[in-house]
Amino acid sequence: MSDEMPQVYIDEKKLRKQSRRDFILFGAGTFAALAGFWWIAPLSSKKRIFGEHATDVLDTAAARFGFTKERSERFQNRALTFDDDVAEALYSPTRSVRTYRRSDITPLRNNYNGRTPSADYIADWTLTLTGLASGTDVVLRLPDLARLEQHAQITRLCCVEGWSAIAGWSGIRFADLLRAYPPAPDAKWASLESAVNLDGAGNPDPYYVSIDLPTAQHPQTLLATHLNGSPLAPDHGAPLRLVAPMKLGLKNIKAITKIAYVAEQPHDYWGDRGYSKYDGL
Amino acid sequence: MTQMDTEKPEDDAPVPAEPEVAEVPIEEPPVAEPPVAEPPVEEPAAEEVVDEHAGQRLVVIKHHALVRLSHWLNVPILFALIVSGFSIYWASPVFLHKPDPVTHSRDYLADVGIAIAGHVPGAQANPSWFYDHFALGVYNLAGALRWHWLFVYFFLLNGILYLLGLALGRGYRALLPRRSMFGESLAMVRYYAGVVPMKIARRPWPHPEITTKYNALQRGAYASMPIAGALALASGWAMHKPVQFWWLERMFGSYDGARIVHFAVMIYFILFLIPHLVLVAVDGWDTMRSMIAGWSVRTGGTE
Repeated sequence: MSDEMPQVYIDEKKLRKQSRRDFILFGAGTFAALAGFWWIAPLSSKKRIFGEHATDVLDTAAARFGFTKERSERFQNRALTFDDDVAEALYSPTRSVRTYRRSDITPLRNNYNGRTPSADYIADWTLTLTGLASGTDVVLRLPDLARLEQHAQITRLCCVEGWSAIAGWSGIRFADLLRAYPPAPDAKWASLESAVNLDGAGNPDPYYVSIDLPTAQHPQTLLATHLNGSPLAPDHGAPLRLVAPMKLGLKNIKAITKIAYVAEQPHDYWGDRGYSKYDGL
Repeated sequence: MTQMDTEKPEDDAPVPAEPEVAEVPIEEPPVAEPPVAEPPVEEPAAEEVVDEHAGQRLVVIKHHALVRLSHWLNVPILFALIVSGFSIYWASPVFLHKPDPVTHSRDYLADVGIAIAGHVPGAQANPSWFYDHFALGVYNLAGALRWHWLFVYFFLLNGILYLLGLALGRGYRALLPRRSMFGESLAMVRYYAGVVPMKIARRPWPHPEITTKYNALQRGAYASMPIAGALALASGWAMHKPVQFWWLERMFGSYDGARIVHFAVMIYFILFLIPHLVLVAVDGWDTMRSMIAGWSVRTGGTE
């Protein structure tokens, strides 16, 4: 008899009672898991498997017990914000992002979700800064930015989709822009916008992201004007884009036209479409 | 969970029950007779007038309540992680080939779906089929990520429950490697290879004698599970936070290295499941019950 398998005498009645309870728990757990999956499953999956009618009936029944679509959304979004809180706890502002050698550079795909804007906008491009300590807005052109110290780095861009690419970026540090044009003292966030962004049909569809000021001040957060030594093409956000390699690619907004410093966390284009708003790597 | 936790069948042992679990094998052999392979279960023990175990049953304590709980929680958790993982994978597959001129697929996983759909009546074999039937659908990256993060934390907590249960129930002892494991593994492989042919040939084919809780193959498979779980978590976090956990990413060579390991571990979990289900079906009710209620009437035997 091995001590891996302790043998005991157990009162028959007790054994039966305990086992019955365990089986009831097992059954209840199975039911709870199935009901829970029904509650959080995408409507399209449910309809595909169970059909339109059965899905309607079961969804109505679930809603009667309080398991509504709205609550399901709120619950699942909470999972995202919980993960963001964990990420924020892990984040260290002094940790630098890994940099690479020139030979590590890989092709970088144009991942514009809609149509890529044609180069026409570049000639009269301006960058508007609002929410500054001075109280007045500032409009900058490329030569204004060229006066600030130029920095270069080879870092990796990680996309939420799962691919990544290593690219050489140069431009100014966001921190230097913040020093040259300080935000209002109560500002905690930067809201970056691209007015030239287009949707799939080619209609204007402004893109916007939020960046917390500590991330903006990170020495590796650039406002880049060049990719691998050449001025940015429209594909990669000419003439000015954000390179924040400690954030997912979707935060690295292209063709920035406006930066607003605000106190409350601004919206994010993809955050409004079901993704996380934190996106820290 | 707390209710299940309090329910340690050992507490009902006729010896002064210690709150600590079945560490000490509470063996009280009835009337100086050494524990036998088959305890007298069904008989109400009427043959002896003075039976201190009247109305009692000799059982083997197999799995701590936390081990059982975490075992079953793994079913919905791994299911959710795998189906959401496939939908995340859809957004940017790792294993790609040149686009197929007929199916327009460039993704090996989509090809698996096309192959399966070819045998399903009424199914339209296209590159979306796999992701629409074994995942949370195509174009559902945001929803799949939400599921994945939700269940990752459940998986993490469940892993802690499992390790706690292993420690409290001393179940880890049955998982430890031992010197005899290679020879025993060979004997088990030989047995499994011959079991069907010998059945057909109607020749006796005895199971190798196992005196431990698990045979060597089971032990290896079960002991590999917490390692696979840890590897899944490590490769997942290497992808999720490659800047904060840069050392984890380095461990897997590269970002894509972590993706490949993560995918491979998922395949390993699925491959584990096949013999796991077959063997419990063959082994029968006692084994199934032991994972729900915790006890078995077999003193030797396998599961």
